[in-house]
Amino acid sequence: MIEFLVRRAVISGVTLLVISLIVFVGVRMIPGDPARVLAGTDADAAGLEEIREKYGLNAPLPVQYGRWLALAVRGDLGESIRTRQPVRQTVAAKLPITIELACLSLLVAIGIAIPAGILAAVRRNTLWDVLASGVSLCGVSVPNFWLGIMLILLVSVRLGWLPASGFVPIADDPLGNVKRMLMPALVLGAGLAAVLMRQTRNAMIEVLSADYVRTARAKGLAQPAVVLRHALRNGLIPVVTILGLQMGALMSGAVVTEQIFVIPGFGRLIVEAVFTRDYPVVQGVVLITASAYVLINLLVDVSYTMLNPRIRIRSTADGA
Amino acid sequence: MAREAALSLALAADAAAPRPGVARRAWRVARRRPAAAAGAVVVLLYVVMALGAPWIASFDPVRTDWSQIRKAPSRAHPFGTDDLGRDGFSRVVWGARISMQAGVFSILLAIVIGVPIGLVAGYYRGGLDQLIMRLTDAWLAFPFLILAIGLVTILGPSLTNATIAIGLGATPTYIRLTRGLVLATSAEDYVQGARALGAGDVRLMGRHILPNIVSAIVVQATVAIPTAIIAEAVLSFLGLGVQPPAPSWGTMLNTAQQFLEQAPWMAYWPGLAIFVLALSFNLAGDGLRDVLDPRG
Repeated sequence: MIEFLVRRAVISGVTLLVISLIVFVGVRMIPGDPARVLAGTDADAAGLEEIREKYGLNAPLPVQYGRWLALAVRGDLGESIRTRQPVRQTVAAKLPITIELACLSLLVAIGIAIPAGILAAVRRNTLWDVLASGVSLCGVSVPNFWLGIMLILLVSVRLGWLPASGFVPIADDPLGNVKRMLMPALVLGAGLAAVLMRQTRNAMIEVLSADYVRTARAKGLAQPAVVLRHALRNGLIPVVTILGLQMGALMSGAVVTEQIFVIPGFGRLIVEAVFTRDYPVVQGVVLITASAYVLINLLVDVSYTMLNPRIRIRSTADGA
Repeated sequence: MAREAALSLALAADAAAPRPGVARRAWRVARRRPAAAAGAVVVLLYVVMALGAPWIASFDPVRTDWSQIRKAPSRAHPFGTDDLGRDGFSRVVWGARISMQAGVFSILLAIVIGVPIGLVAGYYRGGLDQLIMRLTDAWLAFPFLILAIGLVTILGPSLTNATIAIGLGATPTYIRLTRGLVLATSAEDYVQGARALGAGDVRLMGRHILPNIVSAIVVQATVAIPTAIIAEAVLSFLGLGVQPPAPSWGTMLNTAQQFLEQAPWMAYWPGLAIFVLALSFNLAGDGLRDVLDPRG
């Protein structure tokens, strides 16, 4: 198992390096003088010289990359052209908001998807199953920003139940915070719920026909005990993997959701940065999201390797 | 020589064996799965709408009319008018063109780039395969929208660049899919047989492996196109795709969001158009999987 984990970590490390290379090359592909790209169009000669000095922009490209990477690893992602604040600080201020949104959406998605998926699998080919699959298909097909707009229209404009947009820090006003996060979490969670529900259903159908489930039934266990204790635990393993892979979709969704509900998080930061040509911020956000994705998936792999002895042993046997 | 004759005889016999044609299988699937058939019909309707936009739309989609600003749906304007007095129905009809274009061309781009790379990686294996797969992993780590935003930052916002960004975002999926299929197919007897008969690499890949993996790639495309269509709408909604005044469903929703209280109809139709198109594609894709894969 150690061998598997080490191998998995090395691959992730290589992936992170390639990601940094892609981002570095991407920034160099922006037309114009890289110093001006990183310092902003209204920077003076001294500012430009400072940037040139810091990143060694007169040195050959590999040296530039090395210097840039060394700074990035230490958390120095340059400073925002617009606010002149370090990118690290800007990101650190916005990140908790997006993480809260993502966690709430995960709760929504899991809360809908797992019970619905189990129900559809247990009552396979009944009206419940058809209904759950239909809703799931709609969830995959509906553009989440339109869902958000329709929710605002119905809940805020027509019914006046919840505020349409804005954000209050949870520390200032917990109730107000939840009130404003409810619709965004629902919108962001809906697509994920659809995907997870389908996976849960398929995984549960497979597991429910396994021998050990039949054994559990044969020894007279009641249906809930069989489903929840014996089947669900194994059925959830592929679902956890999918959850890790869906993190990218969740991050993409957060960008749109924050835009609709005017939540000042990570996603809004990057869209604003693109429009103001704040390249250091774009670069930092892209680098951080891609790295986070790799690390989250590494964690997912590690956690289910530890949870499931079968994967642990098989991977060692394969020498993988 | 005798072996070759025997092999070609066997192949001929295989070809002559009664096998239901694609058309008949399609009809059977359509009868068994009416939802898939309905999906396919709706997708075709959208294609007709996209191609026939100049004849179907009753107004010029970009012509403004100051006397018709934000009018509720009426006989003349069944979908109402927008903040510049443009006809909602005509804009939704023309929007089909942009959506279809972005959806289809981006996935075509992903296939054109991804399939050959996956083919080479899966066929030659070894160090080249490792290199390609690490690059693919890294590429996949960029959440789609973040990647698209990064690319649009470099290229500048436009329909073409949004299409390129969406296509490049979908490419790793095709590299992985093709590679996996090639790995499985290369081990098949008929590929080994052709190799034994002296077929070269290019012939093996082009004549023996590729035809056998095409249907899986087509099925993946039908799943990917609705995602690409939504992606275009998202980029345009954020202002990173199609630029006004061109009628894209995404940009229309962006404008509509500013007038939710005064003109909610502006938000209904473009979103509904995306939703129904994506849903139909997904339904049709499920059916297509059955048609193209007789084993499934």
